[in-house]
Amino acid sequence: MSILYAAREWICAAACAAALGLAPGAWAAPAREPINPPPTAEDYGALAKLPDWSGVWTPDITDQVARERSNRPPWKPAIAKQIEKMYADEQAGRPFEIIDHCFPTGMPSWMLITHNAFEVLFTPGRVTILGEGDGNRMRRIYTDGRGHPADPDPTFHGHSIGHWEGGTLVIDTVAVLPEVYLAVNEAVGVPNDGDMHIVEHLHLKGPDVLEDELEVIANKLLTAPWHTTRRYYRQRARKYDIVEGVCTQGSFIEAKDGQGHDVFEPITFHNNVPVGPSSK
Amino acid sequence: MNQSLRPLGRTALLLGATLAAAALPALAHHSFAVYDRTQMLTLKGTVKAFQWANPHCVIWVMIQPDAGAAQEWSFETTSPGVLTRSGWTRHSVKPGDRVSVEYHPLHDGSHGGGLNAITLLDTGQKLEANFAAQEKPGLE
Repeated sequence: MSILYAAREWICAAACAAALGLAPGAWAAPAREPINPPPTAEDYGALAKLPDWSGVWTPDITDQVARERSNRPPWKPAIAKQIEKMYADEQAGRPFEIIDHCFPTGMPSWMLITHNAFEVLFTPGRVTILGEGDGNRMRRIYTDGRGHPADPDPTFHGHSIGHWEGGTLVIDTVAVLPEVYLAVNEAVGVPNDGDMHIVEHLHLKGPDVLEDELEVIANKLLTAPWHTTRRYYRQRARKYDIVEGVCTQGSFIEAKDGQGHDVFEPITFHNNVPVGPSSK
Repeated sequence: MNQSLRPLGRTALLLGATLAAAALPALAHHSFAVYDRTQMLTLKGTVKAFQWANPHCVIWVMIQPDAGAAQEWSFETTSPGVLTRSGWTRHSVKPGDRVSVEYHPLHDGSHGGGLNAITLLDTGQKLEANFAAQEKPGLE
């Protein structure tokens, strides 16, 4: 599928060059920004040959915790001290709040520490992972043969390209915002500080078990690449369907405004104690 | 917005005047390490409000101590998605319900906790929030 996409992209670029009256030699390089060609029936048909990842995937949180303990990232000594302090604070009931800002958890922490379900959608040239919680949890993984942009804007989930090796989706992710945490749980982790690179091998481990083998290369934090695995279980019962998860909604309570309209009123906090919606 | 949520909406302005005594541990999405997981306590009271929203649902309960004025407590649980899969709906708990709450207390002893289960005393229905029960495939 990716080869077809790349070929059609080149043909489109060549046709545009011809239409502009450029010499054939100029066709080698696209004359303008690449386009996403319209998918064909063949492209849609090719999706049926991919492994069946339909349904909703729920994380094995017990396994997350076990792996967190048995396979710690190779933190640099200075980072390891920070991590130790976080574990001590967590143990003492004073957790460092990694995700209380309601930003997306980001990569790779979403795959590592999520308590919420996700689903995986296949469309021509792309795999999309849609999560539940923390607002805009969504990964776009381009499988159309493109590379990473030369200078991508950093984002919470980074820029991801993927390709299939049999039933395994190999995902390469760069351009994660440096502020995004490399977290091992909701209270222990540090910002990746930039230049992080993540390689994943996502595949079915059993009929209804999806496994993500992650390699995290975070040279600002780690002495070596960190390899770990996370596991998710397929659910088909409709009560497992993904629901909307807008994180900031929890900071508001339903109320009426002066005109009788239904509105959200912020719950304000003082020293982490709620003092109620702001007065109108 | 759904009509069924209106009663909660009407209570919101009242909550504003009284939530100061409650003790939700942190804004938004946070770690449950603020709760002492080694302890499980039980309290009985009357539901004042139920917030069915991400990232964590909250139930505010009025607790009448042996002496003095009623106290407002906040009990936090997981997200609507996870609760739905445990058999909850946004109607499961309503203002006015008499309840028994099993909870992990806040480390600092203030009036709140991490909800383990809530029992509706008028019906006997027990609602739980259990992640571990969802850690296998093909659940119904």
